[in-house]
Amino acid sequence: MRRVLNYLIGRLLLTVPMIFILLSLVFVVLRVMPGDPVSAMLGGHAPDSVIEKKKLELGLNKPLGAQYVDYLGQLARGDLGKSMIFEEPVWTSISAKLPATLELTFFGLAVCLGLGVPLGVRAARNRRNGHDFGIRLYANVVYCIPVFWLGLMLQMIFGVFLGVFPIAGRTGSRVISSEFDTTGLYVIDTIIHGDIGALGDVLFHLALPALTLGITLSGVFVRLTRANMLDTLKADYVLASRARGISENKVVYGHALKNALIPIVTMLGLQFSALLAGAILTETTFSWPGMGRLLLERIYLRDYPVIQGVIVVYALLVTLVSLAVDLVYAAIDPRVEL
Amino acid sequence: MKRIFTALMVLALALVVSSCGGKGSSGTIVYGTTDKVSDMDTANAYDFHTWEIFQNINKGLLTYTPGTTEVIPGLAESYTVNDKGDEYTFKLRKGLKFTSGKEFNADAVKWTIDRAIALKGDPSWLITDYVREVQVVDPLTVKFVLKGPTAYFPTMVAGCPPYFPLDPSVYPVDKVVKNPSELKGGALVGLGPYKCTSFKRDEEVVLEANPNFYGDKPKIKKVIIRYFADATTMRLALEKGEIDLAFKSMNPSDINDLSKNDKLNTFKMPGPFIRYLTFNCDVSVFKDKRLRQAVSALLDRKEINEKVFLGQNEPLYSMVPQGMIYAQQNFKDEPGDANVAYAEKLLKAAGYSAKKPLAFDLWYTPSHYGDTEVNMAEVVKAEIEKTPLVKVTIKSAEWATYKDQWRNKQMACFFLGWYPDYIDPDNYTAAFAGTNGAIGNGIYFSSKMWDDLFTKEQTVSDPKVREELFAKVQKMWVDEVPTSPIFQGNLYVFTKKNVQGVNIGPTLIFNYDQLHFEKK
Amino acid sequence: MQDKPEARRKSFLSPASGVASLIGKFSRAARKYRIEWWILSVGAVIIAVVAFMTLFPGLFTRFDPNDQNAGPQLGAPSIGHFLGTDNLGRDVGARVVYGSRTILGVAFAASLLSALIGIPLGLISGFAGNWADKALSLVMDSVYSFPGLILAIAFAAMLGPGVINITVAVAVVYVPTYFRLVRGQTLQIKQELYVEAAGAIGARRSTILAKYVFPNVIATVVVVFSLNIADAIMTEAALSYIGLGLPAGVPDWGMDLSMGKKFLPSGVWWMITYPGLMIMILALGFTMLGEGLSEILNPRLQEY
Repeated sequence: MRRVLNYLIGRLLLTVPMIFILLSLVFVVLRVMPGDPVSAMLGGHAPDSVIEKKKLELGLNKPLGAQYVDYLGQLARGDLGKSMIFEEPVWTSISAKLPATLELTFFGLAVCLGLGVPLGVRAARNRRNGHDFGIRLYANVVYCIPVFWLGLMLQMIFGVFLGVFPIAGRTGSRVISSEFDTTGLYVIDTIIHGDIGALGDVLFHLALPALTLGITLSGVFVRLTRANMLDTLKADYVLASRARGISENKVVYGHALKNALIPIVTMLGLQFSALLAGAILTETTFSWPGMGRLLLERIYLRDYPVIQGVIVVYALLVTLVSLAVDLVYAAIDPRVEL
Repeated sequence: MKRIFTALMVLALALVVSSCGGKGSSGTIVYGTTDKVSDMDTANAYDFHTWEIFQNINKGLLTYTPGTTEVIPGLAESYTVNDKGDEYTFKLRKGLKFTSGKEFNADAVKWTIDRAIALKGDPSWLITDYVREVQVVDPLTVKFVLKGPTAYFPTMVAGCPPYFPLDPSVYPVDKVVKNPSELKGGALVGLGPYKCTSFKRDEEVVLEANPNFYGDKPKIKKVIIRYFADATTMRLALEKGEIDLAFKSMNPSDINDLSKNDKLNTFKMPGPFIRYLTFNCDVSVFKDKRLRQAVSALLDRKEINEKVFLGQNEPLYSMVPQGMIYAQQNFKDEPGDANVAYAEKLLKAAGYSAKKPLAFDLWYTPSHYGDTEVNMAEVVKAEIEKTPLVKVTIKSAEWATYKDQWRNKQMACFFLGWYPDYIDPDNYTAAFAGTNGAIGNGIYFSSKMWDDLFTKEQTVSDPKVREELFAKVQKMWVDEVPTSPIFQGNLYVFTKKNVQGVNIGPTLIFNYDQLHFEKK
Repeated sequence: MQDKPEARRKSFLSPASGVASLIGKFSRAARKYRIEWWILSVGAVIIAVVAFMTLFPGLFTRFDPNDQNAGPQLGAPSIGHFLGTDNLGRDVGARVVYGSRTILGVAFAASLLSALIGIPLGLISGFAGNWADKALSLVMDSVYSFPGLILAIAFAAMLGPGVINITVAVAVVYVPTYFRLVRGQTLQIKQELYVEAAGAIGARRSTILAKYVFPNVIATVVVVFSLNIADAIMTEAALSYIGLGLPAGVPDWGMDLSMGKKFLPSGVWWMITYPGLMIMILALGFTMLGEGLSEILNPRLQEY
């Protein structure tokens, strides 16, 4: 147990430099940008004195280094600051949108694995015939489809022409989310409140965005699964299982797949960044009120604290997930020692 | 595997069926818009949509008959003006209460105005340019002492939210309120026909009928404003029946399609919002007014309206829009649209030729005015370049940078738009060509003669004299061209067949309390 | 193969003989790896066609992409306009053809820029291996594990619209890719006997880097370069789709996509279908080229 703790602490400590580096990069970039939150807030009519006063208030007149140190000190205390535009605590703005992104990412991942792994297994079982080639073609092509284009195509086909799925937002216009909102994860919230109608509505709104996100990333998992399955299926114990007369299905799904899963878990960790990036584009296309859209809006408004806060949160997410993946990996693979 | 699959299908079916049971109730209207709310504080908000909400949850001492420019008593039952025209005394209605329960009286009026002046917010000039001080004569009488006689002062009291009284016991006197949650009691408080019961920025705002309102209670008890991130989604939501009403801003192609849709009502109104081309008359190449005249003459307003807006707006030939008093069309005849010969004559006289063309940057902002901006820039560039003597480079900057750049005189030629603050031609002229106004809009045009003209029209009250003055100003505009008008907008509201009562007049005030369902 | 492939790769290669051996491998590969060869060729053909489009657009379309009177507004695909016209009356086909310049140019330049920065840094860092290497690796790893698009967005927003600005914004994202790749390889090769031997006989470090390390790294770099361009294409398209790309006046696939989606509910499908398709095809071309090359230059052990 001690070893696990040490390992955890060690890894968590490593996140500090990463966040530090990324934050510094963004911090400098933001303040070098033309435009600033005060101009964004006030109209062109505001007299210079008002603008100067506001800048003083927000600390924007201090030298870059001083502002930087101030912000780091703030962060060290766990305080993300307040929005310069809306005077709302940054964490409030982010925590309002974070669940939306998490929900989308989760379901996107579910689709991704739900498509990728079975297809990969299928390809491995049918190697070198039509199914195999078709699936491999799919895997290669799908990675090159721009996420937002796929989103638009799905919107067009299923949303506009067929009218089956909604094309934007998390809930329908007549569903008032404040009636069930507790965690922000609407699927869970509606179940807790027992509102089946709302649950259906929420799931329908998740359908196209999750599909878009999941499909584009599934290609990687198809190939990975296939390659790993092929390797595993050649192993001695598989041959032995077959010789003993165990059914092919059991061999494939019971024994081989379990072992092939390990690299998939690792790949999950690596692909999480791609998932987050894809989520931003998906959020834009489907008007999904998540962190990606928050980031874009606040960049537009030059709301420095919120932009910085979002970057920090993304960095934290990435590190936490990769940490979790490492732990899971260590847990399921008996060969790995922490 | 098969059983799991079947189970999933059954579940899916169940969800579909249950989600079909709509939550519509006959006393609720869902109103969709792509606009955004800014600050929920009348002292600082200066955008069309937030003002619209204020006009429904707050009220002015005077107000308008819905759909007209007729000023009628509001929170005040009457008012008097002194002979000079610079003192307005209002007699307030008895027994009115804010939604917080606090009594409404003259103190609240004075407190509101003083606060707005002190906070120096974006729209505060609408008060500070005119009001010297507010005096409480007695609990139900309040006197506005103006800086000078202002004939159109009642229009400002009726139409500008900064003048709408706030509750002193709820609003903080020294800071601007961004979100209702910052207020005592956590909700917005006002004297209008509705009160705000829920606020989720960029998602929804819920309004419910205000039982304390002095006037006729609204027929629709609940209005849910849904914020859409883009017009396409909103259009589809309307077509599917998810929302009852859609207003601002839709793509021209959507407006076309929705207008032809039999299942929807189309309300089209002239909207006195204008778009125009602005020149930096101080430090750019456009200091020379001949060049401003030339570029302005190359514009083809009809083509812009056709190509970019599919004919849905009106080409504009004077900064004062049609439908406003004293409006003329001075740009129409001379030089008119796309007058290449006129332009080339001026350009050649200024020393430009095909080998040495006039080169400048044309700026637009990609989203503040809607995403048709980029198309307008592209069309205008093509129009200007019909003559080889001009070379245009299109540049863009987001709104924050855009504002910054016009303050810093960094843009020679750029697009701007204007929604009226109050309904008077002064708001369309002095605001751009008066020295102060021109600075605020990045135009930096200044002329004593013009300023004198504006002072005159602001203080004189004889409509005939004002008409003459404005005719003169509009004529001079074609000569000096500090800005060149492009089009004036039409407003489109689309509703479900059974929703009636959309009555937005030239004041652009959208009274939700006029809405009602009609049984068919 | 009869030759020991390992020994061949690690001999004292000079760039010229390196190229010769590459060509040798190709022809052997063509015979042996039919599928991979096929994939590579298709990829190469796609790239060649698009490259042709950028160089000689006139061969593919007779319209000017900015000509607003080329055809009717929102005209459906027809004989006169194969891919239809957009909302300002411009020919979609022309915009697709000329748009290839922007996207290919930016993606290529950005990848090149990343490589030019990342590779030397990787070489030096891997070779030197002291605290500077550790520090640099930390920085690069941090940037690498972070979602690249977000960084690109931040930089693109800072720099503002413009071709060069976008190139820089996209380039920033991929520097760590080259750094890590090259550094890893450098570390490996550094341990080889012949490198140690060269050092023993007094070869300067720069000579070792240039003569021994670099040529062995090239093969992998070329593959990564190709895949990188595919990625850069997607990133550039994403940036212009969001609106952080180029100003009006330069035809761009991503921007046309975001412009076209407004007209979707009106039944106008051609404005978004074709630019999107092109992005996909071009990215696919580079991916196929890269994957094909990868199989041939560094053949995996028998999969089957």
